[in-house]
Amino acid sequence: MGIMFTRLFSSVFGNKEARILVLGLDNAGKTTILYRLQMGEVVSTIPTIGFNVETVQYNNIKFQVWDLGGQTSIRPYWRCYFPNTQAIIYVVDSSDTDRLVIAKEEFHAILEEEELKGAAVLIFANKQDLPGALDEAAVTEALELHKIKNRQWAIFKTSAIKGEGLFEGLDWLSNTLKSGGG
Amino acid sequence: MSAQQENIDSSNVSDLGSCLYDLLCADISDNWNYQQREGQTSSSSPQGRLESQLCQSGNRFCADCGSPDPKWVIHVANPKYLGKGFLESLSLGVFICIKCSGVHRSLGVHISKVLSVNLDEWTDEQVDALIRLGGNTAVNLKYEADIPDNFRKPKPDSSIEERSDFIRRKYELLQFLESDVHMSCPFPSSGLSSSSHHRSSSNSSGLSQGKKQYEKQTTGSRFNGLGHAFRNSWRRKESEHKAPKKSNSTAGMVEFVGLIKVNVVRGTNLAIRDMMSSDPYVILSLGHQSVKTRVIKNNLNPVWNEKLMLSIPEHIPPLKLLVYDKDTFSTDDFMGEAEIDIQPLVSAAKASETSTINESMQLGKWVACNDNTLLRDGIITLEDGKVKQEIALKLQNVERGVLEIELECVPLTQ
Repeated sequence: MGIMFTRLFSSVFGNKEARILVLGLDNAGKTTILYRLQMGEVVSTIPTIGFNVETVQYNNIKFQVWDLGGQTSIRPYWRCYFPNTQAIIYVVDSSDTDRLVIAKEEFHAILEEEELKGAAVLIFANKQDLPGALDEAAVTEALELHKIKNRQWAIFKTSAIKGEGLFEGLDWLSNTLKSGGG
Repeated sequence: MSAQQENIDSSNVSDLGSCLYDLLCADISDNWNYQQREGQTSSSSPQGRLESQLCQSGNRFCADCGSPDPKWVIHVANPKYLGKGFLESLSLGVFICIKCSGVHRSLGVHISKVLSVNLDEWTDEQVDALIRLGGNTAVNLKYEADIPDNFRKPKPDSSIEERSDFIRRKYELLQFLESDVHMSCPFPSSGLSSSSHHRSSSNSSGLSQGKKQYEKQTTGSRFNGLGHAFRNSWRRKESEHKAPKKSNSTAGMVEFVGLIKVNVVRGTNLAIRDMMSSDPYVILSLGHQSVKTRVIKNNLNPVWNEKLMLSIPEHIPPLKLLVYDKDTFSTDDFMGEAEIDIQPLVSAAKASETSTINESMQLGKWVACNDNTLLRDGIITLEDGKVKQEIALKLQNVERGVLEIELECVPLTQ
């Protein structure tokens, strides 16, 4: 009853908060996505050493979005951020076909993590503006998304520099989180 | 004896890159020298060979803007075509700085791939390719062969726009390329249609529009193979999203020098904010980042033992701690604050990063006195290769309360 009330209270006053991690290989477009969501602008970025964190208010949810650096040696540090995470946004450079296998391996390693068991997963097949970018069906296959069990997930084609697909993904995420999933 | 020696070497090699801290602490150059002395150059680690490349005079400055000590590498342009034997002569292996690496990354992997010297794992093949391609001096001789005498190359303090313009001309449009290279280079037909000699054969309307835009800023611009479709896309980006550049110039461009792990251990004798007790939680903030602990209900001596992480920006701000009492229906009540200068900890961590000492030792301390809020000395120690500081603070602007935290700094060399 108490929980019901809190949830109702939160949805009426729109103060639901969600902690989101943006993960993916280096140069997938994570930082560009973060600032596109937060400011609605394309920013010039440098490789993220460490992380960026910003708050994005959308659909009555206050998303605390953590963009973690993707370089090989920084990836082991992702797990320090896993506790209390409601959702993962996994970003893939759809034009970097050579590294899709690595992207798949990192992705499934994340799904194995106990601390992320309840987290919803949103996949962005990013960089659709580049030549040779795979569409979401091809990325779904390459990442072996059909293997995902007991978890809410969705994949969207995105172009962070054109601003396409990002808010569609966030719509899905906010609906998923509001309905109690994730 | 020799078998044992080999064991040690191979374990060194496999350790490299297995963990960031190991990577940062491993004295790679020593390892390299040692192996050279033993006459085992062929089995030395890719990382070691990479470091020795970095020591060559031409590679000590960013190939594009001249910043000292570049730690990023453009690794092979257009690998797809390389595999088919095309563009071998155009592939790259140059050392660049982090800002120029940001521009190169934005070109897309079909133009160039960027790796970090320290933060990525290198294979022998990648290092072989880099060595074969000759490094900054050789690549610049080729890529800047036809650079006009009055052309101003970017400098270390150049803006992103200046870098971006130069890098696109140099690597994407190949405007300064040695002329006999692009004469003789066979471009694959798919996706790479025109060269300077037979351009505009396959111009789409989008491209010619884009071209016009580009020619506004360049005189005698010539288009050369690589990345037609991409040129369209980045022009679209610039024309469609006239984002006010000034307002966002720092977002996404913050250089972090490391991570700070903060273990919020406990509070003691905290202030009462509800009827009899409080529901305390702690907010940590460093620059514009802030994180908070969970709320512990009804407790004036809460034990959080909660580990939180923050990135340390290049210009290190003080770490601020704010304690609040959680209220459901009203604004949370203030329960005191404290501020910590983490500069000494970061300096100690950086210093220990380059040293080879492994035993535990005291690196420094923040002495408690009447002028500061410390309850006891905050000693910076090196333990198991980790640089830590334990701090107990009297909370300020509140009637009472002590907060105990442990800091650990993980420097990240880029």
